[in-house]
Amino acid sequence: MKRLFFLLIITGFFIQSYGQKYITKNGYIGFFSHTPVEDIKADNNQVASVLDISTGEIVFQVLIRSFRFEKALMEQHFNENYMESEKHPRATFTGKITNLPAVSFSSPGVYEVEVEGDLTIHGTVKKVKEKGAIGVAGESITASSKFSIDPEDYNIKIPNVVRNKIAKTIEITVIMKYSTSGNQ
Amino acid sequence: MKLKSARKIILFVILLTGLAGIIAGIRFYNLRNKNLLKEKPDFTITAEELRKEFESDEIASTSKFVNKIVEVTGVVSSIDKGENNALNVTLTTGSSLSSIICTFSGNTDTSGLKAGQAVTLRGECSGFLMDVLLNNCVLISK
Repeated sequence: MKRLFFLLIITGFFIQSYGQKYITKNGYIGFFSHTPVEDIKADNNQVASVLDISTGEIVFQVLIRSFRFEKALMEQHFNENYMESEKHPRATFTGKITNLPAVSFSSPGVYEVEVEGDLTIHGTVKKVKEKGAIGVAGESITASSKFSIDPEDYNIKIPNVVRNKIAKTIEITVIMKYSTSGNQ
Repeated sequence: MKLKSARKIILFVILLTGLAGIIAGIRFYNLRNKNLLKEKPDFTITAEELRKEFESDEIASTSKFVNKIVEVTGVVSSIDKGENNALNVTLTTGSSLSSIICTFSGNTDTSGLKAGQAVTLRGECSGFLMDVLLNNCVLISK
């Protein structure tokens, strides 16, 4: 009897989690740094993300090396000097949508959400709380957000020589197009 | 008189060297990413082999492939539009969990590519996340 009960719970768990998870491996995260001297911009179109619409849990993962710059030297400095991508190859976010009831996944629309969780960059974990939007259109779900971070908070050291070229606050853009199959 | 002209020449040479240095510096600073059509690949491999190498030893494969030019042959499973004109071409690897994801920037010609097609492409390896990731890709043949 105990065993049957256990089995029921497990099956229930799988049925519940099946179809509730939305995945992408082709998500986008970009950043933008503005100073009077120079604008620096980088794109990463290889973001992996999972959104569980039953719990509101959301995870993002990127390879630092997948950020692409216009200039080869910027990319090299970003990887070797600032982000130390050999030592810290990934950045991750693990968190939760805190106002999940505000999103109706069955009716089309754009819903404002608040997301809270742990952001790990350059091996440094910080608690963050940011605003974003969830878009629902039929079977497809999108997530987007714009927020800022200070490299200093993540122990990213920028030498004085280039200090005037790199902004103190970097603007981050997140755009995800999820699907249930995972190949979108 | 002689001394004066010698001085002038030296000054001129110093100025010229300085100017050449500045020009070289600016050019180096503004250098774009490589056009991989003009570069020789460091590795030529099938999509399945590349996935297997990373799966069997991620650390060794990371130091072997990352930042290197890899020419991969495989079958396209999906084509997805990214942001800022990027295009992601995913290659099958015989595994449902991990593929090869190849990102093309906006100025590369990828017209006529479709799922199910066998292709050879060249890209710079960024490493392994859930899939093997290639960037700055160019199409070699289809």
